[in-house]
Amino acid sequence: MAMPGQLMFARRLGPTARLLIWLLVGVSFVVLDARYHALDGLRSGFSLLLQPVRETLRAPGDIAAELGGFFTRHRLLQIERDALLAERARLMLDVNAARDLRRENAELRTLLQLQARPGQQVVRAALLYKGHDWFSQRITLDQGAGAGLRSGLPVVDAEGLVGQLSRVYPGSSDVTLVSSPGHLTPVVVERTGQRGLAAGGGQGQLELRYMPAQTDIQVGDRLLTSGIDRLYPAGIPVARISRVSRSQSSPYLRVECVPLAGLDHSRAVLVLVAEPRVTTP
Amino acid sequence: MSPPDQIHGSWRRILGTLLLAVLLEQMPWTGWSLALRPDFVLVGVLFWTLNQPARISFATAFCLGLLADFQDGVVFGQHAIAYVVGVYLVLYLRLRLLQFDPLRQAAQLFPIFLTVQLTVLLVGWLAVNPPTSLAVLLPVISSTVLWYLVAGFLRLWHGKGIQDRA
Repeated sequence: MAMPGQLMFARRLGPTARLLIWLLVGVSFVVLDARYHALDGLRSGFSLLLQPVRETLRAPGDIAAELGGFFTRHRLLQIERDALLAERARLMLDVNAARDLRRENAELRTLLQLQARPGQQVVRAALLYKGHDWFSQRITLDQGAGAGLRSGLPVVDAEGLVGQLSRVYPGSSDVTLVSSPGHLTPVVVERTGQRGLAAGGGQGQLELRYMPAQTDIQVGDRLLTSGIDRLYPAGIPVARISRVSRSQSSPYLRVECVPLAGLDHSRAVLVLVAEPRVTTP
Repeated sequence: MSPPDQIHGSWRRILGTLLLAVLLEQMPWTGWSLALRPDFVLVGVLFWTLNQPARISFATAFCLGLLADFQDGVVFGQHAIAYVVGVYLVLYLRLRLLQFDPLRQAAQLFPIFLTVQLTVLLVGWLAVNPPTSLAVLLPVISSTVLWYLVAGFLRLWHGKGIQDRA
């Protein structure tokens, strides 16, 4: 009956008492963190400790991707290069037009004495880790306060808005995705200019809220950020409308959208770091 | 897996497996692999709680729970509390679990893992939407008082406990 390592006699507190003590400690941690944000130091410590580990563990995947790229066929590369050159020529035209417009815009703004819009600066970051959480959808990036990031900055990829920085550590940062439940993004419908609020619905979906039933809105319309919150710059693509349905009970339309950005599978993203606004007298 | 009484878990082996579990959780899991990923750390902690309760129990579970909280970017304490509850359940069922072969052990651990996960959910929900006041807990006190009154009244009425009447 007696096994080595088995406790025959209680030499310390019983399990129930220890459970209660640890539950008390746990509850105090929850309160300290959720109500008083007193444990951010612990979070930064964990992040400093774990970031090299995460980067090391990501390396095999990166190396495999590199090797796969190395053995791409020459012909494929040529085709891709030709396509990119054509694209570049087309984009150069647009850039010239945009430069002209920007100059004209600046002149008009000075004429109208409007405040100049802050310039945009970007920080490249790579996806480091994905956690699973019941209440929100987050990813971790490999850039942090060291690269000049702050909490609240928008994160985009080539296709559209990915999310917003919610926590920043010294060398990494957490992004809350646009599809995270309850995350609101002020948007404008590209075709009609109708403003609205896109709320994350979880499961990689968004929902356009409070659209009156007679609104002109169609499946396939794109939603852009409206810039009304001074947080996201205007005009970043957010989502495409996938389904519009009317409900009998509510005066609003039920509009479902699919985010345009590759939310959790794009490996490289950009963080838009707005320059501090210069206050002119 | 050899039967538990043959495992002479040394500190090196315990720490090695727990470290391995933490490292496995750091891998860049995505998509379905992320959804299906077992909670390696929890499995490790509960396994060593079952087999080496004198060495690995509440404190280790709590610290590793804090680590899991950091990993998922959630409120500190969410996984810590859940892991501690899991450890308690394993300790409570320990002598019984040790009798079983691995298949039955796994079947018995299923409700424990479920409880742990639901505790994470409950604590997270309470932390995200804290109740507006603690007045919802007042019925607990009034029910206790009512119990005292009912039990006391019945004892006075029958002289002893009510079960003695049979």
